[in-house]
Amino acid sequence: MIARNSRFSASDPLRARLLVLIGLWIVSIVAMSLLSPYFLQASTVPYLLQYVPVLGLLGLGQTLVVLAGGPGIDLSVGAIVSLVSVIVGALLAVGLNIWLACAAGLVAGALFGLVNGILVNYLRIPSLMATLATMFAYGGLALATTEGRPFSNFPAGFAWLGLGQTFGIPNAFLFVLLPVAVILHVMLTRTVIGRHIIACGNDDRAAHLSGLDVARIRTGLYVLSGVLSAIGAIIAMSWFMAARPDAGKGMELLAVTIAVLGGTHIFGGTGGVPGAIVAILIVTTLQIGLQLANISAAWQLGVIGVLLIGSVSSLGGLKLRWRTGS
Amino acid sequence: MTAVTDPRPAFRLVSPTASREIALLATIVVVGAVFSLASPYFLTVSNLVQTLRAGLELAIVSGGMTLVIIMGGIDVSVGGILAVSAIIIGKAYQAGLPAFAVAPIGLFTGTVLGAFNGVLTAKLKVPPIVATLGSMYVFSAIMFLVIGGAWIAGLPGTLSPLVNGTVGFVPASAIVILAVYLACWVVLRRLPFGRHIYAIGCNEQSARLVGINVDRTKIATYAMLGFLAGLAALLYVARMRNVEINIGTSIAFEAIAATILGGTSIRGGVGSLLGTLLGVVFIRIMQNGLVLVGISSLWETVIIGGLLVIVLTADALASRNNPRSL
Repeated sequence: MIARNSRFSASDPLRARLLVLIGLWIVSIVAMSLLSPYFLQASTVPYLLQYVPVLGLLGLGQTLVVLAGGPGIDLSVGAIVSLVSVIVGALLAVGLNIWLACAAGLVAGALFGLVNGILVNYLRIPSLMATLATMFAYGGLALATTEGRPFSNFPAGFAWLGLGQTFGIPNAFLFVLLPVAVILHVMLTRTVIGRHIIACGNDDRAAHLSGLDVARIRTGLYVLSGVLSAIGAIIAMSWFMAARPDAGKGMELLAVTIAVLGGTHIFGGTGGVPGAIVAILIVTTLQIGLQLANISAAWQLGVIGVLLIGSVSSLGGLKLRWRTGS
Repeated sequence: MTAVTDPRPAFRLVSPTASREIALLATIVVVGAVFSLASPYFLTVSNLVQTLRAGLELAIVSGGMTLVIIMGGIDVSVGGILAVSAIIIGKAYQAGLPAFAVAPIGLFTGTVLGAFNGVLTAKLKVPPIVATLGSMYVFSAIMFLVIGGAWIAGLPGTLSPLVNGTVGFVPASAIVILAVYLACWVVLRRLPFGRHIYAIGCNEQSARLVGINVDRTKIATYAMLGFLAGLAALLYVARMRNVEINIGTSIAFEAIAATILGGTSIRGGVGSLLGTLLGVVFIRIMQNGLVLVGISSLWETVIIGGLLVIVLTADALASRNNPRSL
């Protein structure tokens, strides 16, 4: 009974949010096709989907971290992408098999996420500060150990993941992002773990009193965010066929934008995967469209900034209206 | 809490976290000793004065950042404020305005942009980290659009004496820094306004119930940080006599790092201007010394990040028994 109630109240504003987001996406598609005659072509779709996976994985990880409340945020995801790239590239350079190198990268990503999770949940350092510090540390390590030089001796077959296509759809989208999104969505909406995550975000004290190990759940999500960032790093490497030590620069801000724009409340408890997916599409559409229309990168920054601020303040307004209406 | 139970607030120069200042000072002495053993150029008057001048903007901005963080806020857009103010100052100089007209324009720009952040957080209820992330995007968009990828060069050095001059034996930049910190100290420790900042940082809800105009205090504090960023922009232009495209990119994170290293609590309500100043000294000495010793300056972010993790962990362990940390 209680579970049904909470599900109802959690999904209602989300559904409205999803409609608003889809509307926003259509508006941005129309605006971009007006700006550039090249935008509304069939060839744009794979091009767009090519861009989506890396950012999408980071955005999904961020969504879960924010959703579990705390307030949680992971500013180090971009730095994890950079550092994992460097680790995989270095392992490859010393002659390790590409599969083993990627596996090591995933383990490293999980470890970096674990460090974040412990700092935030067991040492109780505010997430913003803890992950800002690890962002410095991870990103700095990636740059300092390589002195900014990229690794680029990847085997040709490695490009399958980042550059290959199946049925005209990029492999990274079809075989990585889509399954991950579906799994996470099912986990959030259909499993006990998902219910626990939402419960932590809604009221961690109540969750704690009803027997949930809040710190462990949240730490697990930081680890998940680290692993997703590592997968993102592998896709990015396979796309560029190089491991750049600044591969993830600036991505943390886009990831936060995606999570918040996607309707996840910044203090947790409300949100989900579908909103995040549409938010990814909106951000990518804007980026690609402005690129095709040859409009300076400055506008991309400005538009994303306005979206970020607007999405949070409008979420507040929406909630307020919803509450007074009922 | 600390501000209220403080037995002799008016006489305090050292914060409740006095041990932090002492530890930081000791670290600076040790690091300085290591650097002066490693490089004969480190402990020379000209090098130290040069470091002081290079740290002028960071010191000024960090003073304002301390106020904002004590209030429980944060501002990652301060680099953008500095950049936009510097560009407007540059354009005003190019339009042939004299220094006494340009200076108020620059300070006004900074104040307005800071107040914009304040309105976002106070009136639109956007959490400060999201609001200032968004406005950072917007400010850098403005900057790129105005400057268009080119430098503004060959500006007059009318205000250069403020940076490069000396009064007797004392470098003018030291006097400017001391004046700014004295002003911040008076605001924070002597005026009712400062008490309001502490109160909001301790418990915003209680502050509101006591009758403090929370919104106005927030907007004013962010505006003060903006004003200081405008001042930093003015001195930057006076020092460099040009405005380059990557101005202010790292100053926000450095200022936050200096403030946290100096003992200000990221949760708000506790803070120390003296600690912040020592934090700035530490960061700048580190940067200068690493270059002189011949270590790649890329390691500096690793060191700052690692130190932040250590300091935050130590804080967290020390405040385990403090009910406020829950």
